[in-house]
Amino acid sequence: MTLENVLLLSAALFSIGIYGVMSRRSIITTLMSIELMFNAVVVAAIAFSRFTLPASLANVESPVQAAAVRLALTGHVFAVFIIAVAAAEVALGLAIVFALYRVRETTEITDAATMKN
Amino acid sequence: MGEPALSGLYEVSRVVDAAFWLFAALAIGGAVMVVTVKDVFKAAVFLAGSFLALAAIYFLLQAEFIGVVQILVYVGAVSILIAFAVMIIADVPGGSRPARGRIAAATAAALMMAALAFTTYNTNWTDIGQITDEDAIAGLVGVYYEDTSTSPYADAQGGTIRAADETTKDARSGALIDSTGAIGTLLIREFVLPFEILGLLLAAALIGGLALMLNPRTEDK
Repeated sequence: MTLENVLLLSAALFSIGIYGVMSRRSIITTLMSIELMFNAVVVAAIAFSRFTLPASLANVESPVQAAAVRLALTGHVFAVFIIAVAAAEVALGLAIVFALYRVRETTEITDAATMKN
Repeated sequence: MGEPALSGLYEVSRVVDAAFWLFAALAIGGAVMVVTVKDVFKAAVFLAGSFLALAAIYFLLQAEFIGVVQILVYVGAVSILIAFAVMIIADVPGGSRPARGRIAAATAAALMMAALAFTTYNTNWTDIGQITDEDAIAGLVGVYYEDTSTSPYADAQGGTIRAADETTKDARSGALIDSTGAIGTLLIREFVLPFEILGLLLAAALIGGLALMLNPRTEDK
């Protein structure tokens, strides 16, 4: 488990998500693929937080300042933000799918091309 | 990788390595099933499995807080919400129509994968092993206390960082170290504005979801 391995896992998940977004017809499976892509980004953020350090810290010889050291856990904070935004996104997306289904009786992307009722 | 002064921190044991490959295979397999399986409900179940495998990987990456949040939010809430939606919307369980533009989608995915892999192997990532300062190690893994009594910059800088000996030992041995407190400190100091905006966003999403569901125009139908 090196940084490269974890980043490759992230890249694979992101690519699978792209394939799903482009190929699936149902809005719900498209939302699932988007969630996969969100998770790929979270994996990358955690991996960077675990295996790398901010460039500003690379050549520090003297005792490291508090603010600079805290940057090392920034990846975890980013992960928290991404997860919260993804949760909001899927809640709103499913609400839109429900609203669309009530009006059009369909959940397929190509049937929802116009915003008129 | 240089002199392994920090070997416990950035190198991993064989067991952790094996577990990583196992869970990575599970996550990727689940993701592939999500985008290929025809039954949308089965896709939701595979999505939950993929999320669970990723939570295990977060634990292996010493991000136990994110792992727990992943299980609570993704496996517990998002997957259930999606499964709920699939069950309510009647025409989905019969299977979605055949995928469109498979070749184009596969090409785009392969190109993305190639670009990301190229970048991964052609970038000189700054290695955590380059740090040899004991206090800095303890600070990096998030376990430190602020010695405000000795620092002349106590007010401006938040105190000098001092590593506890035990903490550094834990970091070198690769033990699971609590990062939750450090994340909380970050959230209410450096990232307090994004944190508050996030609360606003979640409230807006809640109200927006309710407004979409209770739209009187659709109720008339």
